[in-house]
This record gives sequence, structure tokens and C-alpha cells, in this order.
Amino acid sequence: MTAATSGLPSILGPIRPRPRGRETKLLAVVAITILAGSVSLELAPRVADPGVSQGLSLANPLHIAVYLGLIGLAHLVLILSGRRMDQVLLPATAMLGGVSLLLMERLPQTLVSQAVGPWKLGLGDVQLAWLILSFSLATALAVTVRSDRWLRLYKYTWAAAGVALLVATYFLGDEINGQRLSLSLGPISGQPAELLKVILVVFLAGYLSEYRPLLVEESTKVGPISLPPLPFLAPMAAMWAIALGLVIVQRDLGAALLFFTVFLFMLYAATGRPGYVIVGVILFLAGSFVMYRLVGTVQTRVDIWIDPFKSPTGDGYQIVQSLYAFARGGLIGTGLGAGLPTVGGNLPIPAVHTDFPLAALGEELGLVGVMAILGLFLVVVERGLRIAASAADDFRALLAAGLALVIGTQAFIIAAGNLKLIPLTGITLPFISYGGSSLLVNGIIVGLLLALSDRGVEPPPPPKPRSRLTRLTGRVTRLATPDAGRPAGRT
Amino acid sequence: MTTAGAPRLKPIGRAISHVGLALTVAFAGLALGAGYWQVIRSPDLSNAPDNPVVIAAARNVVRGQIVDRDGKVLATNKRDAGTGEPYRVYSDRAFSTVIGYATPQFGTAGLERSWNAQLTGVSNGNPIGDLLRKFQTDPYDPQKLTLGISSALQRAAVAGLGDDRGAVVMLDPTTGVILALASTPTYDTSAITDPQTSRNAFAAVRDAASKPLLTRATQGQYVPGSVFKIVTAIAGLGSGQITPSTTYPEQPKAETSGLVVGGFRVREHAGVPARSFNVASATEWSSNIWYALTGLRTGGDNLAKFAERMGFGTQLPFDLPTARSQVTNGDGSAPGGFSDDTELANASYGQGETLVTPLQMGLVAATVANGGILMKPHIVIATTGRDGGRTIGPEQQNVVIAPDDAAAIAAAMQRAVESSIGRQFTSGAKVAGVPTAGKSGTAELGGSGAPHSWFIGFAPVESPKVAVAVIVERGGRGGERAAPLAGDLMELYFKTFGR
Repeated sequence: MTAATSGLPSILGPIRPRPRGRETKLLAVVAITILAGSVSLELAPRVADPGVSQGLSLANPLHIAVYLGLIGLAHLVLILSGRRMDQVLLPATAMLGGVSLLLMERLPQTLVSQAVGPWKLGLGDVQLAWLILSFSLATALAVTVRSDRWLRLYKYTWAAAGVALLVATYFLGDEINGQRLSLSLGPISGQPAELLKVILVVFLAGYLSEYRPLLVEESTKVGPISLPPLPFLAPMAAMWAIALGLVIVQRDLGAALLFFTVFLFMLYAATGRPGYVIVGVILFLAGSFVMYRLVGTVQTRVDIWIDPFKSPTGDGYQIVQSLYAFARGGLIGTGLGAGLPTVGGNLPIPAVHTDFPLAALGEELGLVGVMAILGLFLVVVERGLRIAASAADDFRALLAAGLALVIGTQAFIIAAGNLKLIPLTGITLPFISYGGSSLLVNGIIVGLLLALSDRGVEPPPPPKPRSRLTRLTGRVTRLATPDAGRPAGRT
Repeated sequence: MTTAGAPRLKPIGRAISHVGLALTVAFAGLALGAGYWQVIRSPDLSNAPDNPVVIAAARNVVRGQIVDRDGKVLATNKRDAGTGEPYRVYSDRAFSTVIGYATPQFGTAGLERSWNAQLTGVSNGNPIGDLLRKFQTDPYDPQKLTLGISSALQRAAVAGLGDDRGAVVMLDPTTGVILALASTPTYDTSAITDPQTSRNAFAAVRDAASKPLLTRATQGQYVPGSVFKIVTAIAGLGSGQITPSTTYPEQPKAETSGLVVGGFRVREHAGVPARSFNVASATEWSSNIWYALTGLRTGGDNLAKFAERMGFGTQLPFDLPTARSQVTNGDGSAPGGFSDDTELANASYGQGETLVTPLQMGLVAATVANGGILMKPHIVIATTGRDGGRTIGPEQQNVVIAPDDAAAIAAAMQRAVESSIGRQFTSGAKVAGVPTAGKSGTAELGGSGAPHSWFIGFAPVESPKVAVAVIVERGGRGGERAAPLAGDLMELYFKTFGR
């Protein structure tokens, strides 16, 4: 068979459909669940006007149909692509996206209003549009990415692009609530920090896989204490510090915490040395303490976290309302659409669609629903780590692990913030929160993970000859010379 | 230094599985956190006054009624002509300190506060019912509360206290059901809930010097005087340190010269003969010296222990907020937290650092009446809603002393009310035709003012139906004010409910 028979662009290769039975079954479960949720949403009495009963119908039949149709289409494309890719990632993320769509359908549509040509779009419309783009992007990446060279070879270019994006945001971004987090390019605006997390993972995967032998084997000894080989950490730490510093300057604490945690996770994954993690956590605690003393925002967040009930109508308002919402949900929840009582027409949590979707879902779906959603995130992480563990080389392993950890860690940070386990930081709940940048980047992550899961992709470049540095038995100072610091063996 | 040597790169999969494990543990933490807020803290947070669901309920839901034990309506609702929002109307001012009020502007008090979730129907106190209710179209099921209080007794108690400040607690000693819980002064709760008069009425009540919002029956902390001797008798007999026939050789002499304890001279009140007493005659004569000696023999630790069995030292679990009753400040180094024997001796007849609530003393009387078993006191005896109701039955709170010890104290208390000597101190407490037991108290406060007038008691002695505690602030000696009022109220009880 040749590519010509298919009539498709040669990048897709010949069409040799490969059934994905497991994915089909799981997607059927997703479709049934989302349809049931949609019916339940339509039947739910609103707290504002109790007793109003409605007939059996779907929340917004068109939206639900479009979403489920899109997922079905993505499934079909994956089948047609004939690749042997993971069959759980798409159903798991489609379920999360479906829950997101139901929630955004259920919340007041006026939370978001965008005019596109003659149409006025509300919260549900816009979220559906982003979900469509996100899953299209994921599918496109999954089908087309057949080589990792473009990521592997240009890690410093990617890193520079990421930093440039942040700098541009800082100087050119739109200021909202004292933060400059989004960048506008004509009609399109987005949050570069979202994209930066993928770029950071690509860079770290590239760097760590290249220097892994050195990071594992070398040590800097200070007296009796054996420290990691500092000179090799320097360029990476600098890269990390630049990103982190910019984030801190922009007061985006959630992203800073995410970057740091993923950085530590990947460092450990690459080296297996707990020492790195210990040093990292100590650095983190010291940095947090300094920030607590110096940065007002941080101090406020921590004080609210310690006792939000001290000012339930002031600083602590959002988190107290979040906890009330969880409490109202109880074990099984109020039912989709029956929670979130409005007082005077106002939602108790203003940022419910961006920062507190878990609180809303906790109220309406109960502890059972929260467990299910947390479970879905763990499934995504587990699939990602499984892809990593069976990857053909270190770069792919670290890339897959890093991408999965971004999802898992981000979900943890915002969920823990909602539940008052850690101070609240504004960050999105992956696949569920409203927001285009977040959904698109999550789509990229899923697409890359799917592509990486295919054993049939281009084999990785042959292992480089061990750098002469590793054969050195000399002093560490010699390793830090410019010559030694250059990545070796690329030629 | 650098260590090189043989390559010892571990497979990357191991480290990745560690990372996965770490994240799984973190997610387990999230699940535990969610469980904490959604299950353990769910009831109290869901019913918090500033929870939007409670606020929304208060505005939209017609609260359940509150009725007395005979079904007479004490709290119901009207609708504001302008806004259409419902508001509360109360029928009987005598219940103001029990029922309290519920308004959107000024919050809630009394039973309206503590039973808010049930009255608005956010919760009906039955976890399974709350779960099932979520599947119905109307999420609210306002509950009607039935109180064990009798309107007749409650009104008579408030009327009997009159213009004095004070409190009356009447309860069924065998079930713990509260029959009357009066605190004076009362206030006009309907004026607070009526949208027309709400603001001024609330401000007036909040700022009044007589503190009507303080529910004296459960939150007033008073020096007990001689009514506390019953607690000392319970501790002495219960711990086995004394028997009903215990006498003290040094007591007759001390009656004339006073009893010196640690340099302090415990004095008897006038008219007590210099004879050897036992628990019955000492209670009949209300002998300070016999009870001081009993307290010393019983020991501070025993006194504190038996008091704690009846609820001293903690906030009593109850339908309304309660204050803590104390035998001593508890900061001393002697057993039981007393500072020394002098304090213990004084506390034993109710004049140490002892402070009690009227409800607590009502429970002391009820414990003796019920053969040494304390029943958990409660006001609300039933809740009724759309989905059926729930009755709140008798619940044993503690076994304090053995029945024969309780009987010995009951006999002593009967002599304190019915004998010719006892009647000098408890005049008017005797219910005609009904064997009556009791103990008066005169709590000296220092300074020049009149003492607090106390009485605790129960009737009939053999199979008690009603226990009572009365305090009239600055009412004079126990026999002057509290004892006659208690007698009248018990008499009304038997007139209303029969024997």
C-alpha cells in the first residue's frame, strides 16, 4: 500500500483503520453519562423558583449533540489514522470536558458575553467553541505528530520563545485586576502562562534527558554533605528562575506554584535522587517565607487560608462560600442544577466558572461527584505516566511524564485551594474551568500524549556517545568550564 | 569531589512510578479534605446563618410553626403587605426568652436560632430523609416544632417572677422534658420581627440595662447558697464517705463557737441548736457547719466528680445556649481544683467560688427525684414536616448515685419542706395533699443588697412528676420569695395535669 491510494495528504499516510474497541466502549459510557446529566439539569428545580417543573428534555440539545458528535468524530479520526495510541485518554478527558459543558450550561449565561458577528454568545456557547477547538487540536496533533525532532532539537529556542512571550505579556499585556496575564493580538487574546507550561516541560525534558547521566552520577561535596552537581544545574535553574521570576512579578502565584512543582517532579523523575526534592522543598519554603514577608498579595492569601472565617464577608468571602458550597453538597450533592442558591439574584461565588468549578460541582454532585472527578484526573495522570514508562527513550519518557504531571499538579493546586488545604491561587481546573487558553493548551497536551503513546512513531535518535565529561574523574571545577558546559554529542 | 566509576543509571520508570505514587497520595489528601468539608462539617456549615441557602430559605420559605405541648400555636407567620416576604408572629410574650426571634435583618435567637435549619426545612435532622429530599422538586421541608413546655405553667412562672429578675425551670425528672423555662424580664419578640417596628424594637432590646436577651434560666450564673448542699449530700453519699447516719462529734460545739477551717471561721445562721445532726436533720435545719464538715470529709475531688456527673464544668447539651456551672474556679492546687480547705468548706454549703445556672440546679433536683439517674433535658419533643416527623424521646444522660442514696436525700428534702422546723425556711413550698421535697437557698452576695432567693424541689416524693428550680435575683431569703413561688407552680402543675 502506498500513500497515494488514500488521496489524503501524505503526512497522514495510507488509511489503514485500526479498531479502538476499548475507546468505543468508554466513549459510550461518557455519552450516556453526559446525556443523563443533561436530562437531570433540565429537570432540576431552581432554588430561586422552587416548584417549577419541566418536561423531560435536554439542557441544550444542540450543544450536547454538537459536543458528543465532535467527540465521536475525534474517535473516528483516531480509528482511521490506524495508529496504536492510548485508548483511555480521550474518554477520560472527554468526560471532564462534558462535565465542564454541563456546568457552563447550568451557570448564568451572562457570566461571559462575546459578540461574534451578528451572534451574541453566552458562557455555554463560548465554552463549547473552545472545547471544539481544544479537542480538534488534540486529535490533529495525535494524528499528525510522527516525529519529536521539532521538540527535541530546539529546546533552547522553545525556552527563549516562552520567555519572550512572558516578557511581551508583561509590557504589552492587558491589565485586569492589577494583573497582566493576557496578551491580545488583534481579536485574539490569550494567557501565555498557559502555553509556557508546555514549553517548560519540553525544555526540561530535553535538558534533563541530555544531562541525566551527569545529574545522577556527579556530586559536589561540601564537607561531608554530598550535593547535586551544581554547575550542571545552573543553566536549568536559571531558566527556571527567569520564568518563575516573571510569574511572580505578574502576581500569578498559581502558575508559579505549578511550574515549581512540575520542575521538582521532573527533576526527580530524571534522576531518582530524593536529595533534589529535599533541596527544592527547602528552597521553596524559604522562598515562600520571604515572599510572605515582602509581597502583600502572598500575605493576604496565606492569612485568608489560615482562617477564612475571620472575615467571612471580606477577604475570606470566596473561600468561605466555596466551603459552604461543598458542605451543602454533602455526600450525594443537591443534583445538577439544584445547587448554588442565589441571594438577590447574585451567585454566592463570583469566579465560580474560572476558579471554583470544583466547589460548584461539589455542591451539585456531592462528595461522590468530587471523587469521580478527582479519579478522572488521576486516570489522565496514570495514562500519561504509563506512556512515559514505556517510552522509547528518556526524552519521550520525561516529556510524557511532564505533560501528565502538569495536568495532575494543576488540578491538585486549584482543588486543594478550593478545599482550603493550601492557600488559594488563581489557576484553572484543567478541562473544566472556563477559558480558551487553558482548554487549548490542555488539548495540546492530550494530543502530544496520544502521539507519544504510539510505538510506531519515528524511532528516537541513537543514544549519544557518553560525553567525555562523564569519564572525567577530575574536579568539579573543571566541569564548569565553558567547553564542558556545552551539550556534547549532538553531531 | 566527583564520583564517576561504573554507570549506575536506574531505569527511569522507577522514578516515574514514585512520582505517580506521590501525586496519588496528594489526591487521596484531596479526597479526605473533600470528605471533611462535605460529610463531617456539612451539617454545621450548611446551617450557618450566613450560608446563602439559609439566607435564601429565610427569605423565601415560610418557617415551620412552634406549638406548646397542647398544640397551642406560639409562633406562626404573616406576609408583609408590601414585599410579600413572610415574617414571624409570636403569640405569647412569656416564651420570648425561650423561642427568641427570627428576622432577615437582625438574625435569630433562642429556639429560632438553634432549630433554624429544621424550621426553614433545610434539614430535618434525619440524614436519610435529607438525602431522599434532594430527589424531590421542593427542596425545603419546614418542620413544625412541638415543645414540652406548658403554656399555663410558663405564664404562671413569668407572672410569679413579676417585676423581679429571675428564672424558673420546671421539668419532668423521669424524661428530662422541660415543662417551663421562664426568664425575666421578657421582651416583645413580635415587635422585632414585624417589618414596621423591627429596627427600633431590636435596638431597644439590645441596649436595655436589664439584658432581656440573656436567657437567665440557662445562661445566668448565680451564687447558689444552701441549695448547693444537695450537691454536697450527693457527693458525700455517692462516694461512700458518709452514710445517712453520719454525725460529727465536733459539730455541736462548733454550732456555738463556729468551725475553724484553715484560719477561717465557718459560722452558723441564727437559731440552729447545738445538737448532733445527720443528713436529714442537717438538711432540715440547713446547717452550714454539718455540710462544711461533710464537704471536708468527702474531699474536693469527690465533690467535683459528682458535680460533673450532673453537668458542672461543661456547657450542658441543650436546645438553647447554656453557661457553664462551676463548683470552684478550678485554678487551685488542692484536689478537685479548690485552692484550700477553706474554699472547699465554704463551697460545701454554697458560698465558695461556686456558680450555677438555674437549669443546672433544676437537674440536681431532678437527679434526686429520679432515683439518682439524670435524664437529658430537652425542650423540643417532636418535629413534624411534610415527610413525616420525628419524636425526641427520653435519653439518659448519666447515672449519678445509687437509688437508696437518692432516697435518703429525698427524705431529707421532704423534712426540709414538711417538718415544723423545715417549714421555717421553706414556707409555702408544700403542695397541699402532695408529699413535697425541697431545699431553699439564700445566696449572700456581700455588700448591702438583699440576697438571691433560691428554691429547688420536686413532688410527689415517692414517684416524682415535676422538679423545679426557682431563683429570684435580690429576692431575699429563700423562704420569702422562691419557695412560695415554687409551691404555687407545683400546685398548678397538679391542678393542670392531675396527680
